[in-house]
Amino acid sequence: FGLSLPAVAVLLVALLCLDPHGRVGSAPICAHGPSGCHIPSLADLFDRVIQHSARMHSLSNDLHSEFEQYFLPSKNHIGKIYRKCHTSNILTPNGKDNAQKLAREELTEVILKLLMAWRDPLFQLHQSMAHQQDFNSFSSNKALEMGDMAHELRKGVEKVAEKMRVLGMLGNSVTGLSAAEAMLPLSDSGEAMSDYELLYCFRRDSNKVQNYLKILKCRIVPEHDC
Amino acid sequence: QYIVHSWFLSFSEVVLEPFQFSLPGSDPSRGPHFTGCRSREQETFRCWWSAGIFQNLTEPGALRVFYQTKNFLSEWQECPDYTRTVKNECYFNKTFTQIWTSYCIQLRSVRENITYDEACFTVENIVHPDPPIGLNWTLLNVSRSGLHFDVLVRWAPPPSADVQMGWMSLVYQVQYRVRNNSHWEMLDLESGTQQSIYGLHTDKEYEVRVRCKMSAFDNFGEFSDSIIVHVAQIPSKESTFPTTLVLIFGVIGVVILLVLLIFSQQQRLMVIFLPPIPAPKIKGIDPELLKNGKLDQLNSLLSSQDMYKPDFYHEDPWVEFIQLDLDDPAEKNESSDTQHLLGVSRSGSSHVLNFKSDDDSGRASCYDPEIPNPEDLASLLPGHSGRGDNHPLVSRSSSSIPDLGVQQTSEVEETPIQTQPAVPSWVNMDFYAQVSDFTPAGGVVLSPGQLNSCPEKKKEEENEKKIQFQLVSDGAYTSENTARQLSASVPPSPGPEQGYQTFPTQAVEGNLWNGEYLVSTSDSQTPYLLPEAPPAPILPPVSDYTVVQEVDAQHSLLLNPPSSQPAICPHSPNKHLPAMPTMPMGYLTPDLLGNLTP
Repeated sequence: FGLSLPAVAVLLVALLCLDPHGRVGSAPICAHGPSGCHIPSLADLFDRVIQHSARMHSLSNDLHSEFEQYFLPSKNHIGKIYRKCHTSNILTPNGKDNAQKLAREELTEVILKLLMAWRDPLFQLHQSMAHQQDFNSFSSNKALEMGDMAHELRKGVEKVAEKMRVLGMLGNSVTGLSAAEAMLPLSDSGEAMSDYELLYCFRRDSNKVQNYLKILKCRIVPEHDC
Repeated sequence: QYIVHSWFLSFSEVVLEPFQFSLPGSDPSRGPHFTGCRSREQETFRCWWSAGIFQNLTEPGALRVFYQTKNFLSEWQECPDYTRTVKNECYFNKTFTQIWTSYCIQLRSVRENITYDEACFTVENIVHPDPPIGLNWTLLNVSRSGLHFDVLVRWAPPPSADVQMGWMSLVYQVQYRVRNNSHWEMLDLESGTQQSIYGLHTDKEYEVRVRCKMSAFDNFGEFSDSIIVHVAQIPSKESTFPTTLVLIFGVIGVVILLVLLIFSQQQRLMVIFLPPIPAPKIKGIDPELLKNGKLDQLNSLLSSQDMYKPDFYHEDPWVEFIQLDLDDPAEKNESSDTQHLLGVSRSGSSHVLNFKSDDDSGRASCYDPEIPNPEDLASLLPGHSGRGDNHPLVSRSSSSIPDLGVQQTSEVEETPIQTQPAVPSWVNMDFYAQVSDFTPAGGVVLSPGQLNSCPEKKKEEENEKKIQFQLVSDGAYTSENTARQLSASVPPSPGPEQGYQTFPTQAVEGNLWNGEYLVSTSDSQTPYLLPEAPPAPILPPVSDYTVVQEVDAQHSLLLNPPSSQPAICPHSPNKHLPAMPTMPMGYLTPDLLGNLTP
């Protein structure tokens, strides 16, 4: 044939464009009804989200442990390195009972606030870890993955909240998301937090998110002895 | 802030656990200090301290614990509950326990207003879960040999931990060891509540224990109580099974080994059982040398052998060879043997004498070494002087017999009737002799027509007899030309043509070579058989040969009268002459030829 490869490719693309059936569009997968595909229930959504948050927390724990190896902490190092995280302004329940007593909407909002507050700091953390030669590429990749996970978790929790709202479990008082975006991670002295501080704070906050989600699920989805 | 420096990496082996207190009952050399804080379920926690060497502070209330939560509250509060039953313990219940909150505790001596120790922590980092409960095991299977078995170990999470809601997500670790052994085998972390253990030996007692910790945290709880796992060894019925298998495989292996041995040593075994037949060998001769050796080596080698003499085959009487006259290939086809004899050949005198030129020509069967060499004959003639002429006969004739008046070259050439002495015994014969026959070897058989000498010996007479018989019978055994000439000149006149007789009874058709034609119509007998039978007309004594003087116009030969013929041997000619003309000119057979030869 005298046709060259690019000509053939152009021809194929033209055919696809011209053919209405060949057009690729976004269509819902479950367009044929509930029997066509399996729509995940709220419980399944919660399970996914909780698994995701658990993985995120374990990732943050690993990074924090690696950081602690490069330090010579004293015996009471925790006390010495107490830092005030930028998310300390967010009122979060500090116990299981307190979290159980909190309303679902508030609990959901807290979760979303926390996740929103960590979007930019995590990006910052990854950038700063990637530039430093002290960390291997594995650590910086973990930081990047952590940031992506936080982002996805936030999206997931938003979907769960949306579903809960649709199901009528949530009221319309879920607000304040926009206000959380304005938070910047600043320490007491106003300086930017170091990587270790960020990791320490995120490890704590990821654990909070995980536990809050569990409590929320237990309250939303009726299960045994929850 | 803490900036990570590269030189900190060298100290990475030093890992401090995040506020992992040692067991209560700490170092006595120190002053009052906290020995540890622990939470069991992440909802409450306890702290312990010790007075240390300061024994004067051991009484209760001398040392007090103050805490501060690093929230928005910054004032120090005293321990909410000093446990009464346990010494030096401060208990924080649910209301005073805040997760994800930094706590700082201080050990003070209120009386002295001295802070002996301070510690900060967060509660989730000091959580040590309670040990699992309900540890038990079940047998999974036992191996075929009965030496190993697998078990499944089960347990339940600690009741204090709220696992159902997920407030605490626990992971477990199972450990086992042979009883009274010091080393524990650790298995991987298990998030479920059961674990299978493989490869345990029967007849051994095992201890199994389990502990748990919060996932993504590092603090393990206490071990559960150990359980004993033991399976008695059952004597297997299938112990005989492997022995039969071993036997079968052993036999197969031995067979395979034998086959391999036979195949590997095949050559040797073949030699032993089927010895090879020795190949033919020649003593003293190396076959390799024959293949690759040079020619002179081969010659020397072969000459050393007796059987390989070069002229061996010449002495073999029964080996016949056909001689090829390679000297005169051109003259082979042209001239006849008589011309060869008479020296008509162009190449030289050597050719005349080359009838017996090749010694190794292989004419053993036909060759009679006693047949005189023409050269020898020529040398025996008197007055022979080897002129080297091509026509020795002519030359000789001219010298010795001048009275014959023989014309030289031309007549002699045309008349091959000229003869020469046949045998050395006829030295005294005339120079000319009639050629009676040619041997296939090229020898010339002559008939002594005019005998100059009279052999007194009987042998000579016999020879003469034979020769004359031969001569007469071979009188016609000449070339075809002469035969035709003879036949053309029909009647033999007693004049100059006395020498030759024709047989009137015969009709010579011109082919005298063929013995069949010589058979007369009246007389069926072959001429050579009856030399004396046919009555011959009385004729004047005719010599056996004569010299052709000239050829007349009619192509008839004019012969000289035999003048020198008589007087020498009156016996023999008279004896033989009458017989001779009666003898028909005929064909001499080889057996007669053999008789005639001396």
